[in-house]
Amino acid sequence: MRAAWRIQPIHISLAMFLALVAGFTIGDPSFLSLYNAVTILNSVAILLAVGLGQVCVILTGGIDLSVGSIMSLVSVVFMMTLGPLGAWSYLAVLAIGTAAGFLNGLIVSRLRIPSFIATLGMQGVLVSVAYLLSAQPLSAPDTAYGILELVNGKLGPVQAVWLIAVAVFLVFYLMQRYTALGRTILYMGANERMSYLSGLPIDRARTLAFAFSGFGAAVAGIILSSTLYSGYPTIGAVYVLNSIAVVVVGGTAMTGGSGGVVNTLVGALIMGVINNGLTVVGIDVYAQQVFLGVLIIIAVAVTFDRKKVAIIK
Amino acid sequence: MRQSILEALAVGKSYPGVAALKGVDLAVYPNEILGLVGENGAGKSTLMKILIGLENPDSGEIRLRGARAELAGPAAAIRGGVGMVFQEGCLLPNLSIADNLFLCHEEGFRRWGLLSGRRQAAEAHRQLEAVGLPRLDPRTIVGELSASQKQMVEIARLLWLSRLYGVENPALILDEPTTVLQDNEVRILFDILSRLKEQASILFISHRLEEVLQLADRICVLKDGSVAAMLDRGQATTRGVARLMVGHELAEERCRESLQTAPGSEAVLEVEGLGLAGRFRDFHLRLARGEIVSLVGLLGSGKEEVCRCLSGSRKPDQGTILLEGRKMRFASPKDAIAAGIGCVPIDRRNEGLATSLDVASNINLLVLRRLSGGPLLSPRRERQNAGRWVEECLVKTPSLQTLCANLSGGNQQKVVIAKWLAAEVRVLILDHPTRGIDVGAKDEIYRRIRELAASGISLVIMCDTLEEDIGLAHRLVIMKDGRIVRDLACPRGAKPSPLDVIGDIV
Repeated sequence: MRAAWRIQPIHISLAMFLALVAGFTIGDPSFLSLYNAVTILNSVAILLAVGLGQVCVILTGGIDLSVGSIMSLVSVVFMMTLGPLGAWSYLAVLAIGTAAGFLNGLIVSRLRIPSFIATLGMQGVLVSVAYLLSAQPLSAPDTAYGILELVNGKLGPVQAVWLIAVAVFLVFYLMQRYTALGRTILYMGANERMSYLSGLPIDRARTLAFAFSGFGAAVAGIILSSTLYSGYPTIGAVYVLNSIAVVVVGGTAMTGGSGGVVNTLVGALIMGVINNGLTVVGIDVYAQQVFLGVLIIIAVAVTFDRKKVAIIK
Repeated sequence: MRQSILEALAVGKSYPGVAALKGVDLAVYPNEILGLVGENGAGKSTLMKILIGLENPDSGEIRLRGARAELAGPAAAIRGGVGMVFQEGCLLPNLSIADNLFLCHEEGFRRWGLLSGRRQAAEAHRQLEAVGLPRLDPRTIVGELSASQKQMVEIARLLWLSRLYGVENPALILDEPTTVLQDNEVRILFDILSRLKEQASILFISHRLEEVLQLADRICVLKDGSVAAMLDRGQATTRGVARLMVGHELAEERCRESLQTAPGSEAVLEVEGLGLAGRFRDFHLRLARGEIVSLVGLLGSGKEEVCRCLSGSRKPDQGTILLEGRKMRFASPKDAIAAGIGCVPIDRRNEGLATSLDVASNINLLVLRRLSGGPLLSPRRERQNAGRWVEECLVKTPSLQTLCANLSGGNQQKVVIAKWLAAEVRVLILDHPTRGIDVGAKDEIYRRIRELAASGISLVIMCDTLEEDIGLAHRLVIMKDGRIVRDLACPRGAKPSPLDVIGDIV
C-alpha cells in the first residue's frame, strides 16, 4: 500500500528555494560564486539551529519569543567564560540555553501560562540578565581564538559550522521522526484534546519542546558569537522573528501539528538566500525589509497547507 | 388550507455515507406551536440547520410564506422571519442584555453619530417586558443570567429583529430548550411560549414527550430522516408517539444479536456509590469479563458524566472504582489508560483522532513505547502494528499514510477503535460508536463489538438509538436525573422491546 504521490508544501518550498537561487543568479551571477555560497551557508547554519528549536515549540501549537534573548545571553556568557573555562564554555552555554528553554516549558505547562506571554516575559528577563552581566559588547580574548576554531575552522573545503549544522539537524530529525517525544509533540499540535484523552504525556512533551528550543537557540548563539568573535545583549534580537519566519516559510503551520524539521531546513535555506541575495543584487539596505517582508508573505502563501487549518489567526 | 409560515418541501440531505434526511415535508402555520420529536440521529438537527440556512438541502426546497427561499445563512433566515434559539445559547456572555439584543443592529440608536446607551436601555426594557422579564435591568451582563433568562433574551432578540425587518408572525425554532431548565423555569417558558403564539409561530424540539404533548398544537415525529407521523394534539399519547419514534423494525436481526456470547463470571470493573455533585449519584455497576453494558438515558441523565469518571477525564466526588479487585483513583485519562480502560469518544474529529495525521500515526499513538527498537522508534514495527490493526478492524484506506481527514466516518471510527485495541485495553467505553456512520459500516462495527466481547474485553456503551442499545447489550442500565432507575437483562433471543423501556427513560 503506497499513498499516491501528491504535491505537498515541502515540494513548493523547495521549488521556491530553487526559483530564488535562479532569480538572484540572473540578477547577479556572482550570487552563485563559491565565496558567496559559503557566506550563505554560514548564515543558514545560524537560522537553521534557531529555527529547528522554534519549530519544536510551534509544532505543539505554541511559540517561543525568547530564542533571541537566549542567543544574546549565550553570546555574553560565552565570551565571559572562554578565558576561564576554555572549551568547557561550549558545554556551559549549551546548558544555560537548554535550561532557560526548560524553564519556559515549566512556566507554560505547570503554571498554565500561554507560551506567547511566558516567553515574552522570559525574553525580558534574559536580556536584562545579559545586560547586568555586561552592558558593553565583549570580544573574545586572543587566547581563545584556537578554541573558536571548533566553529570557525575548516576541514579541507568543509566549514566546521556546516558540520555543526548537520549534526544539530540530525539530532532534531531523529528526535522528531524516531522518538515517542517527537511524535507526542506532533500529536498534541494536531489535536491536543485527543492527546490528553489518550493519556499522552503532553505536559512533559511541551516542556521538552521548549528545552529543545533553548538548545537550538544556544547553538545559534554560539555560532553567531564565534563568527563575530564577540557577544552583546542585543546580538540575538533579530532572530526572534527570523526563527519564526524560517519555520513558516518552510511550510509549518503556526497552529501546530503539521510540518517539521525538514520543512525548517528548507525554510532556513530560503531565508538565508533571501537575506544574502537582496544585498548581492544591490537592493538598497533600507528597502531590503520591504522585499523580505513581501517574500515571506508570498512564501507562506504558497507553502502553507491551508487545507488542514480551518481558522487563520 | 391556510398559508404556511415556514415550510420544508421534500427536503433531502446526505452527508458522506449517511442520508440524514429523505424527503421531509413539514409546514409551520401561523399562530401554532409545532412539536418536533425523534430519536437521536433521526435528522432533527439537520432539518433545523437547513431551516435556518446553516446548511443547503441536496434536494427539495424551503418556502417562506409560500415563496421559495434560498437561505444563505442565519442572517438571511432572520431577515425572512425565521430565527433559532440554540440549545447551548448564542449570546455573548461578556456583554450586557441590551448590547446582545441589538448586536450588529445598533443603527437606530445613534445620536449625534454616537450610540445612545440610554435609548438602547429603554428599548431593551420594552423587549424584556414582552417576554415576561419586566424587572430585569437591561444593563445586566448576560453571563450572570440564568439559563432560562438567557433563552428569554434570545427570544426577545429574535422578536425584535423580525420587527426591525418588518416581518409579521415570525417563526421561532427552539432546540431542546427545556434540557437546561429547572421545572419551574419550564413552566414559565411554556407560559410565555403560549402567549407568544399570538404573534409568532413556534417550532419546538424536545426529547421529553410529556412536554411536547402538553405544549404543542401538532406533533411531527421524525424517524430515520423521514416524517413518520404528523399528529394533532388530541390524537397523541406518550406511548403512541414513543412507538412511532422507535419504529417497528425489530423483526430482522439487528446488531448481530446471534453473535452475542455469554459473559464470564468474574467481575472486571466494580463501581460502588459513585457520585458527582449535580450530575449523578449512587451509581453502581458490576461489569463482568466480556460483558456489554449499555447506559441508557436522556441528555442530562448523568450517563455521560459516569463515563467521563470511568475514563478518568472527570474526578468523581464520592464512591469507589475497582478494577479486577484493585481500587483505582484516576487523576487524568492517563491513569485510566494505564489501568486498562479506554474510551472511544462521541466527538471523533475533536477527541478521537488527529485528522491531519495519517492512519498509522493515529493507530500507533498509544503504543509508541512498544514500537521502539532501542532508544528510537522502529519504522518497521510501526508499519507492522498499524498494518495489523488496519486489517483486523477492516479499515478501508488506500494506504497507511493516508490522512484520517480523507477517510469516511465509519473508517475513522474503525481507526479510533483500532488505536484502543492496539493498546490492549481490558475495558472499553464506546460513546455513540455508530454516530454519523452509514449502515454497512455500522454492521461491521457491531460485529467488531461482538468479537471484542467474545475475546474477553468488557464494554460500556452508549448508543444512538434505543434499539441499538438493546440489541448490543447484555444488560441495560437505565438512568434518569442522575440515578439508576432500572437494570434490565437483554439476553440473546429474549431482548426487551424498546417500548418496555422508553417509559423509564422519559
